[in-house]
Amino acid sequence: MSLLSIRNVFKSYFLHGKRIDVLRDVTLEINRGELVSLVGASGAGKSTFLHVLGTLDPPAAGELLFEGRSVFAMNDAEIAEFRNRTIGFVFQSHYLLPEFSALENVAMPALIQRRDRGESYAYARELLERVGLGARVEHRPGELSGGEAQRVALARALVLKPAVLLADEPTGNLDPATGEGIHQLLREVNRDLGITAVVVTHNETLARSMPRRLRLVGGQVTDA
Amino acid sequence: MNAERQTVYRWSFIWSGALVALVGAVLLGVAISQADAWARVSGMLGLSGLGWGGILQTLNALGLTAMRSSAVESVAALPGQRFLFAGAVVWLVGWVLIAGGIRRAPPSSEGPSPAAGAQLYPRLANYRDFYWSTLGAYGGGILLSELVLILLQTFLSNGGGASAEGKGLPPVGAFAISLIAASLVAFVAGFIGASRARRLAMPEATIGVIYLGLPVPVLLSLMERLPDLQVSLGYRLREVTYVAELLGRPVVGYWLVFSLLVLMLVLGINTGFIAAGSGRVDLKLGFELFVARRHVGVFRPSLLLGTLAVLLFGIIPPLIVYGIIRAVEAAVERTRIRALGLEDPLAAASALNRLKLREQSPTMMMTALSVGGVGVGVMSLIIVLSVMSGFEQDLQQKILGAHSHVVVTKYAGHLREYPRLMEQIAKVPGVVGQSPSIDNPVMVLADDEVQGIVLKGIDPETVGTVLDLPQNMLPGGSLENLTHPEKIVPRRSLGGFGLREPEQTEEEFDPIIGRPTKSAEEQALPGIILGRELAAILRVVVGDRVNVISPQGAELGPAGLIPKSRAFRVAGIFYSGMYEYDAKFAYILLSEAQSLFGTEGPSGIELKVADVDDARRIASQVRKELGGYPYNARDWGEIHRNIFSALRLEKLVMGIILSIIIVVAAGLIVATVIMLVLEKRKEISVLKALGVSDGGIVKIFLSEGLQIGLAGGLLGLFSGLAWCFFIEKVGIKLDPSVYYIPALPVKIEPVQTALAVIIAVLVTYLASIYPALKASSVEPVEGLKAE
Repeated sequence: MSLLSIRNVFKSYFLHGKRIDVLRDVTLEINRGELVSLVGASGAGKSTFLHVLGTLDPPAAGELLFEGRSVFAMNDAEIAEFRNRTIGFVFQSHYLLPEFSALENVAMPALIQRRDRGESYAYARELLERVGLGARVEHRPGELSGGEAQRVALARALVLKPAVLLADEPTGNLDPATGEGIHQLLREVNRDLGITAVVVTHNETLARSMPRRLRLVGGQVTDA
Repeated sequence: MNAERQTVYRWSFIWSGALVALVGAVLLGVAISQADAWARVSGMLGLSGLGWGGILQTLNALGLTAMRSSAVESVAALPGQRFLFAGAVVWLVGWVLIAGGIRRAPPSSEGPSPAAGAQLYPRLANYRDFYWSTLGAYGGGILLSELVLILLQTFLSNGGGASAEGKGLPPVGAFAISLIAASLVAFVAGFIGASRARRLAMPEATIGVIYLGLPVPVLLSLMERLPDLQVSLGYRLREVTYVAELLGRPVVGYWLVFSLLVLMLVLGINTGFIAAGSGRVDLKLGFELFVARRHVGVFRPSLLLGTLAVLLFGIIPPLIVYGIIRAVEAAVERTRIRALGLEDPLAAASALNRLKLREQSPTMMMTALSVGGVGVGVMSLIIVLSVMSGFEQDLQQKILGAHSHVVVTKYAGHLREYPRLMEQIAKVPGVVGQSPSIDNPVMVLADDEVQGIVLKGIDPETVGTVLDLPQNMLPGGSLENLTHPEKIVPRRSLGGFGLREPEQTEEEFDPIIGRPTKSAEEQALPGIILGRELAAILRVVVGDRVNVISPQGAELGPAGLIPKSRAFRVAGIFYSGMYEYDAKFAYILLSEAQSLFGTEGPSGIELKVADVDDARRIASQVRKELGGYPYNARDWGEIHRNIFSALRLEKLVMGIILSIIIVVAAGLIVATVIMLVLEKRKEISVLKALGVSDGGIVKIFLSEGLQIGLAGGLLGLFSGLAWCFFIEKVGIKLDPSVYYIPALPVKIEPVQTALAVIIAVLVTYLASIYPALKASSVEPVEGLKAE
């Protein structure tokens, strides 16, 4: 059984009262441990697709199945918990919480789960060391550089060892060298931790380096 | 599926329909005026405003029809019947026109979308928009809480007379218990309703409160107006009305309690929604508080101390001190940075950056302002209510010093049998003293001065067990002089100073009695005790002679009834500290009073009870002990109801007015939390993406508002108490000739003070509901759009 399956998903958004159909009857399977890239023109709906996949945005019609279970049929609390435990997000901006230190930011998903604070911080510290930021745990996001912040964000996405990692142009705001570091980390995560990852990107070289490539055109997602 | 179901309004129809209906209403009004029936229909019309009138009217009509059908009786032609029918028809036509003006729009011409026929997103497919069970919980809950309150009050309270029922608690205590129980019922009902529907379910709440909650207070309010209702319900609800009347205006009490219950229901609904709105009951708060504390940072020493300083010393002095501190700090910092810069420019730059980072955001300023606002509200509430309690206590002390706690009287005649009654009364537990007395209005004369007063006949032996009179006697006179009038030293040449010549010759031979008398100055006259102010008005001192003229016990003279006149000698002067009493009361011996008023016994027996607040219950026990009619026992609360209920009403109104400050502060909190929500939109989205449920977001922002409220409430409590202690210890001088109190009295009542803080916290909680819900409705996708 595939890990994630999308069945007949429709999604539209509205611009000045006009309906724009971004996803039209998308059906797709993603298997456990896959590393998938998604490319498409700007405004084609790549982010929307990722948001539906990450349960941030419910589709107008269709189903999202995780290990055969319909995710959107669950209630709010269950969906939130699913998001917390199963999915890790990395966005174009780091979206770290400015009032909290890097350590607290990384531990946040564990704290949301009401895990023990000391334990969560210990694991978060370990992860930060792994992404090479062991010396900056107490710094606030405002005191970190873009690349460092993005690495903290990646650590935050991984702190609960999610089954799926969804990355929305994670290197879009970074210079090529720093971006390459992040890509390297992503590949490591997929390989070492066995985390299924879907990476939306503009970067054709990055996309080509992924084992599976998806393309979003005209509301349809196809294997490229 | 018809996706769009829009409504089209034809405004010409609606407006003309409204006009026609208005004409109909006017015609109906004319018909009612002609039948002179406004008084009778106004209650029903009022209920119709809630939607109940029609139902009641129908039931009433059905009942009447059933009764009438047996005894066939032609209905008397009403005056203005033509208007009635015409009005009804025109009224209906108007509404038909209005109904005709509302149409469903034709179906949209757009073709089906590509998704037509696809499976609907599951949660939308299961969506329900009205929950009968929630309506039942809300409506039933508010009604049940009202009934619980009424029944518990009736059951627990001691009862005015029928003592077989009732637990014998004092009414206010019983009310506190009943109110807490009823509030709990309302809260739980709201909680259950909201957690079943998993949303606030405002339509259900509105319908429930209006249709099931409102009738009870409406009924209670109407009870005053409608004699029928009074007769059928008044007796059963007398404990409830008694408590409400403690406020002076029972209606105020009913609606206040009703609003409180609705408030509790709303709190319950909100709590239920927060706890279970996301699909499961989650009452844990640790994480949410962790985030909320970082967001607002209320509990920082600088903020708390600053606000406290403002509350204690006013705005200007702390502002000056703050300005000085900031100026000094800035100077020192800049000097340091400059010195640093001379060595290492980059270190100086980063130090400068840190200095800038410390500057506060506008939300911080708003937070401080809201905390201060709540603090000011709570502080002024505590101070004003404590001072008013002080006045009330002072007044109560003085009234109860001059009056007894309970008075036993007879409906007709005098208590000749009082020794027997006193023995019986002594058996009632709680009675600690009793004394027979008689009082009547009289005029008292001394030379040229005349004053109308209340003359009270007392028994000097026992009066001390009931009144503070013995303690209130000023030196120079004594209560014993009443029983031994010969001991009073007549004032002869003492006050002379040549101002007044002794008028001996005139009094040598009394023309009315017709026999020679001793010198009026030396004669042993019965004693009288006057209040200090009265003695000052009459310009008499101990030993002076005064005449008392009583219309009661008048004697028949040659020209008709002559008021009785008798001479007394001032045996003592008392000072109670209350102008009204010191100027309006005089005491004589009971036997003297009986003969003056021509009665055969005292008019009442005055009692003192151990617990003043328990007087009502003891009065009813005394009544029972004496076998009821013809004896009656009234407690001080009943005798002096006017003044105390006026005081309480005044206090209540003051409380409500001052609570407006808290409401304004709550407005500030709403603004602050909304600003926070706007500022944190992105963070909210991120938190949601990380797996915080909607309920969690609501909790975060609610606890932010609540923190502000709590901080403000505690600061207000602290500064209010500090001010109260200051007033009490240092004192604010009052002009004793105006207020009769040397300094502003303060009495800190713990319950009332706690209530002020609790109200403030509740109001801030309510105020943060709206912004918190706004925060939870931020869509995660909204905040995550790439900039």
